[in-house]
Amino acid sequence: MEPPPQIVVDGVRKVYETPSGPVEAVARASFTIRRREFVSILGPSGCGKSTLLMMIAGLDPASEGSITVDGAPVTGPRPEFGLVFQDATLLPWKSALENVLFPIRMMRREVAPARERAMRLLDFVGLGGFEGKKPHQLSGGMRQRVAICRALVHDPELLLMDEPFSALDAITRDEMNVALMDIWDAYHKTGVFITHSIREAVFLSDRVLVMAKRPSTVVADVTIPFPRPRDMSIQEDPEFNRICGELRARIEEGYARAGEARGPRRSLKAFA
Amino acid sequence: MTADAARLPAPAAAPAAPGALRMLARRSGTVLMPLGFAVSVLLLWEFLVRFYAVPTVILPAPSVVWARILSAWPFLLTHLVPTTVETVVGFLLSMILGTTLATFLVYGRRFREAVYPTVVFFQLIPKIALAPLFIVWLGIGSESRLAFSVFISFFPVVIATMAGLRAVPPDMLRLCRSLTATEAQVFAAVRFPYALPYIFSGMKIAVTFAMIGVIVGEFITAQAGLGYLILFASSQAETPLILASIATLCVIGLVLYGAVALAEKAMLRWYGSA
Repeated sequence: MEPPPQIVVDGVRKVYETPSGPVEAVARASFTIRRREFVSILGPSGCGKSTLLMMIAGLDPASEGSITVDGAPVTGPRPEFGLVFQDATLLPWKSALENVLFPIRMMRREVAPARERAMRLLDFVGLGGFEGKKPHQLSGGMRQRVAICRALVHDPELLLMDEPFSALDAITRDEMNVALMDIWDAYHKTGVFITHSIREAVFLSDRVLVMAKRPSTVVADVTIPFPRPRDMSIQEDPEFNRICGELRARIEEGYARAGEARGPRRSLKAFA
Repeated sequence: MTADAARLPAPAAAPAAPGALRMLARRSGTVLMPLGFAVSVLLLWEFLVRFYAVPTVILPAPSVVWARILSAWPFLLTHLVPTTVETVVGFLLSMILGTTLATFLVYGRRFREAVYPTVVFFQLIPKIALAPLFIVWLGIGSESRLAFSVFISFFPVVIATMAGLRAVPPDMLRLCRSLTATEAQVFAAVRFPYALPYIFSGMKIAVTFAMIGVIVGEFITAQAGLGYLILFASSQAETPLILASIATLCVIGLVLYGAVALAEKAMLRWYGSA
């Protein structure tokens, strides 16, 4: 029998009041995410996907609709969520290890028992021996790995990632995707991953939700059939490219539906 | 992942080429050039004063000032102490007051709305004009000089600290909120350390302003201090002593500023901004 979903997003709408009138960040979003499922939310910038993630995290209240995690409505921040942002946002004066332990301190938990877990996490992402380094002594990819360790150190149920690799160069990004995949196979969390990279979404996810802009809604829910563990070679698979093509078509449909037709052809014409 | 490790740059990779000469060459831009310029100005001054036989009471040559410094040294030393002590105390008070006020201004919205415009208003009026008032209120003791010194030097600290406390990346604050950290925790572990580089840049301004405040106070009322000595010497038309006092002031100012700059350097090393 199918277990009940862990995250239920039901008819969620978000409207910001601004001096120039209300702005609709998310028009309507409804979907569910099962326990230990990795779901990417894919869409163009400004489609409200980050807002949606912040609402799931309890950092931004929904204007309408409800979000429940493990049956309980999300009404405010809950420490059992792990967050990863676009920038690593590490404390520059703290060592990698101290940065990983930051949530433990902020949650007023005992630090000593967590230290070992923090060291194991750093080791796991290939930063063994770097625990004493400060962020400026680490590369961008290493910093983001520290941030992922920090999100996992208090053993959260959910890992919420807001475009965590979009500030990295393409090669580092590929490395990070593989690293995240490894973490996934070892730590089994429920993951929500915001991205605007189609290939990244397909490579990492069990399911990809496509969001469109204006109105900002979920326009497609695509299951990615590749078995785990995965490695980079699946990106050569014709099926992989077929799925990517399908997702791209759905994103463009989203534009067309919005009457914007801002696809590549149109913009090329505009340049001609 | 090992690729990343290999890419890690060696900290502060020093060029392999040998030491002293290269060091000197590299330093020439920051040390030798300004030093050379200052010495040339002094030499030109010496030459012009001698060449045109400018009377000492109008403008003494640097060599005459130097001789006066040597002869009046014990005298200068006794007047140097109160000025230095008052400057340091005034500076420390304005640091405490400035950072505290800035913290309240950042945290208390109502307090900010009520108080901040007044704080800014007092910065717009020429503060030196208010110095006699401080004497009226606080008498001719060091209290009035200290109060005026603080009054003149705390504002840069307030502005810098406010900017620093607000410089925390929004995502960092989101993370703290999601971890249900208390505001006191966020202040101690995140906001205040993030503000430190800003606070230090405010300190560098405050330390020079604090000295200005003390000197102005001494001009108005004092029986000791370098400001008093300058006024006294001018009443005697003792121009070499005026310049000797000013030179001593410059040295104190330089030392105090240097101390703050050194502390800042140590802080930045800890902070880890490469």
